[in-house]
This record gives sequence, structure tokens and C-alpha cells, in this order.
Amino acid sequence: MKRRALGFLISLWAVLTLNFLLPRLLPGDPLAALLDPSSSAYVFNSATRASLAEYYGLDRPLVQQYADYLAGTLRGDLGQSIRLNRPVGELLRAHLPWTLLLTLTALSAASLLGVLGGAEAAWRRGSATDKALVVSSVIASNAPVFFTGMILLIVFGARLDWLPLAGGRTAFARYGTPWEAARDYAAHLALPAVTLTLALVGSKFLLVRNSMIGVLGEDYMLVARAKGLSTGRLKRHHALRNALIPFVHHLAAHAGFALTGALFIETLFNYPGMGRLVFESVVARDYPVIQGVFVVVSALVLGANLLADWLSYRLDPRRREAL
Amino acid sequence: MIREALRLPVAPAAAAHPPRRVRALLGSEGVAGLLLLLILAALAVFAPLLAPYDPDAFSGRPLERPGAAHRLGTNDVGQDILSELIYGARISLTVAAGAAAGTVALAVLVGGAAGYAGGWLDLVLMRLVDMILALPRLPLLILVNALLGAGLGTMILTIALLSWPPAARIIRAQVQSVRQRGYVRMARGFGGGPLYLFARHILPQIAPLIVFGLVTAAGHAVALEAGLAFLGLGDPTAKSWGLMMRHALNLPGLLLTDRWLWWLLPPGVCVTLLVLALALIGIGLESRLDTRLKQR
Repeated sequence: MKRRALGFLISLWAVLTLNFLLPRLLPGDPLAALLDPSSSAYVFNSATRASLAEYYGLDRPLVQQYADYLAGTLRGDLGQSIRLNRPVGELLRAHLPWTLLLTLTALSAASLLGVLGGAEAAWRRGSATDKALVVSSVIASNAPVFFTGMILLIVFGARLDWLPLAGGRTAFARYGTPWEAARDYAAHLALPAVTLTLALVGSKFLLVRNSMIGVLGEDYMLVARAKGLSTGRLKRHHALRNALIPFVHHLAAHAGFALTGALFIETLFNYPGMGRLVFESVVARDYPVIQGVFVVVSALVLGANLLADWLSYRLDPRRREAL
Repeated sequence: MIREALRLPVAPAAAAHPPRRVRALLGSEGVAGLLLLLILAALAVFAPLLAPYDPDAFSGRPLERPGAAHRLGTNDVGQDILSELIYGARISLTVAAGAAAGTVALAVLVGGAAGYAGGWLDLVLMRLVDMILALPRLPLLILVNALLGAGLGTMILTIALLSWPPAARIIRAQVQSVRQRGYVRMARGFGGGPLYLFARHILPQIAPLIVFGLVTAAGHAVALEAGLAFLGLGDPTAKSWGLMMRHALNLPGLLLTDRWLWWLLPPGVCVTLLVLALALIGIGLESRLDTRLKQR
């Protein structure tokens, strides 16, 4: 486990260093363009320009820039947004909860559906239900998220008018009771979350199904059946438990996929998370914000990987020696 | 698992029937995917013959509904949507082919070198693989493409540079196991150089992995290109399906009319079909690579 934690720290350092080096080393010098009056990306607001120059410190030696950058980032100073003239840290704090809400809702729903569906499909492998589930999960997990989202948006948002079209909550709403607030948030969350769940559930289903089929062929399953255990006990205690170990690992790898999928979905649904922030920042060439999102999303993905390693270590005693 | 895969059940009679041989290699899923891919590739290749108009020409009034002159209507500046769609196949397939070739070339280079040389080179290269694998790909792609400015070449290059590690890891493992086999060691004992051994003995053994890698990388690249174009990071001069969707969604109130039916839906369906075609070929290949699944 210590090695994994070390790997996490090294990856985090790599992310921070890339975030420092990429804007400075890429051809065309995108950062200098912001401060160069003859460039099309020139920032006209002099106060913003001053804070940019201060943050990137391009006139100082590279090593000192790096040291200042690392110290600043660790203090939580991620620079100033060009477009909104607000600290990037503040912007991220405002957008992050929405992304986490969306991602975690979809991940939980997809995990639940994937595990239950995968276990059942494996148990009845070869049946018509199994085949139908496999085909539909292949399609669902391969359709680009923004496409699935678009269809849901059009059908349930625009045509049927059941759910709100955009945003994270009703603008300027005043809620009488917490219940009303929760309903409003849930209604806005529904379509983006369903879209992301659809994108995530397919691969989870296939993974659980395959590892369950693998487990069902193991000798200990034959022994357990010979002992006369009930079907339910066989499924839950002997098969599913062992089939879940690869799933936990997959879940971590998928946390990153879920987060990045959320970025697209938020753009489509105008959901006020990090994806929407990236979308608007790309248009305005607001590099400090794009960099801030990169650092935060990367740290989250790395953290999720570490968490999954720890979980699978707890679940599977055989891995304790391996880690 | 690979060893069994290479003893593919190609009966002598089947060799005389190429279609059956393809089916044995790809399975029915793979054949379906291949057909779909060929149709989309035909769109790209024969675009000038198939498209009724030049996709950049202002061939009608803005926002025409579908009719005899414009089967899928026109966009907000009066360009024929059907022609845009047909020419869009060229962009998506270019990105797919370019990124896949780059990804697999890097994977073979790194995976092959690490697996063949072993020792410290293996250690260093595999740490590099771990490092890149740990980095979240999409945020990094967004950052780099935002900084570099939009361009098709940039996109292909950056996708390839960030996508090779998983394939490199698989190829390394296979090269390592092939290198230890008797006939390879014997060939080395007789003085076969690394390049000869690689071309003569190792390459044929990793060929199925290379094909599989190409197909999966192409699928991911198509989805990434569409997604990046959708976020506004695509090449504005290369009108891909992702860019078409972005243009359509930029029209205020698009969803409130039925205009999305012929403007937004077709490019979305095309991207999905292309990704699906590549995924199906991948699934077909994979189930033949991995015999563990077939035994049951």
C-alpha cells in the first residue's frame, strides 16, 4: 500500500509539473500572447493583465517560476480568471460540487444496475435476456455521451416537457421547504444523470457478467453446489463476492471516465459544473481556468485510483502480498 | 491465451472461401462491424460522387427544410447538410486512421523495446507507461489543444501521444513471452540479430494484438475527435460530425422546432455508427484473442 501511495504522489507531481511546463513550452507561447499588445489574445483589462503577469511570472527565471508555482498551488492559489476576473480557486469551488453530484449519482446508479444485471445475465448466460442485455449494453457504452444526452434532452426535455431543459436549478427560485429545493435539484439532475448512467452501465455490466461467468466455472463453485447450498447463497456468497474484485478495480479506472463524461454532459445540459466552466473558458481562451480544471480533475482521478487500490486490498487477501 | 488464438480454426476448405475466413477471424459481430465500417469508408472515399453539392458552397437559402433540392435541408448559412455529412466522414476517418496508426506505432516501439530488451530499459519505459496511464486523458487533451489552438494534425498527434500506453503494456507482455520460447532462443543462438528476430519471429506473434490495438484506438479517436470538436476545440476548417453538432446546437431554440431531426440527429447517428462499427470489430477480435471466454 505504501508503494501505491508513493505512486499517487509521483503522479500528482507529474500533473502539477505538466501543468506548469505545457503552457510555457508549447509552440506559439500561448501565455506570452496574453500580455503581448500585438497578439489577438491580448488582455485589455490592465488589472487582469497585472495579475496574470504576477501569477505566471514569465520575466523571472524558469526555476524560480516553478518554485513559486508549486508553493502557490499547494496554498490553493490557482491564479485569476481572465474572463471573469475572479480567483480560479473560487470558481472551481463553486462548480466542483455540481460535477461531483452528477458523477457520483451516475456512478452509484450504474454500479448498482451493472452488478445486479451482470450477475443475473451470467447466471442465465445464453438466454434471450442475456443476449439482449449484452447487445444493448454494447450500444449504450459506445454511443458518445453527448449524442445519448441529446436524444434524451430532445425527447424528455423538449418534446414531452417533463423535465427542465438546462441548468442546475431554477433561476432565482425561492424554496419554501427543503423538500421543494430537493425536488428542483433532482429534476434538473435527472436527465444529465441518466445520460451518464447509460454511458457507464454497459462496461460495468459486461465486466461483472464476464468475471461472474469465470467464477461460475471454478471448482469451488462445483463443491459449493455439491454441498447442496441454495441458489441464492451460491449466487451471492460464492459467485458474486469473488466476481466483484475486478469490478472494484474497474470502478476506479472508470471514475476518471465518468468525470470526463460529465464534462461533455454538463456542456450539453448547461449544467453548472466544471465541464460548463471548461467550455466557456475554451471560447474565451481563459487559460488559468482550463489549467485549474485540469489540476483538480486529475487530482480527483488519481485519488479515486488510490481509493480503489485500497478497497481491493481490503477485499482480497491475496492482493495484500502483491501490493 | 494468445497461443491458442493463433491456432485459428481455419480449415483448408475455409481458406478457399475468403468470406468464411473473415468470419472465422472476426465472428459475426466483427463481420457486422466490418460491413458498417466499409459503408462509412465508401462515403468518405466517394464523397465527391455521392454528395449533391460542395459542402462549403452556399447552395440554398439558410435553414431550408428537407426537400427535393436538399434532402436534409440546409444549415444556418445555406450549406447543404447532406453534403456536409458525407464529407464529414473523411474528417472522422482521417482522425481515426491517423491516431490509430500513431498510437499503435508508439505502442509497438515502446512495448517491443521494453519486452525485448528487458532490464533497466524495460523498467524505465514501464514507469513511463504507468505515469501516462495515471494521467487523465481528456483533461490533458483539452488543455493541450486549447493551448496549441485548433488543428486536425495537432489533434491526431495529441490523441496518439496520450493513447499508446495500454497497448504498449499488452505488447510488452506478449513480446516477453515470445522471446523466451524455444525457437526464438534457438534463432538467437544461431546469431539472429534483434531486428531479424523481431521481424521474423516476434512480429507475427504480436500481429493479432496490433490489429486489435488499431481497431480500439481508432474507435476511441473518433469519439475523442467528435467530443473535442463539440467542446469547440476542433479544427474550424475541418467540418467533422462533431463540429456539425456544435454548429447545430449553437442555433438558439434548435430543440424547440423539429430542425434537430435533420441537422443534429444525422451527424450524431453517424458518429455513433462509426464508433459502434469499430467496437464490434474489436469485440469480434477480442473474443477470439481471449479463449477463456469461449470455453464456457
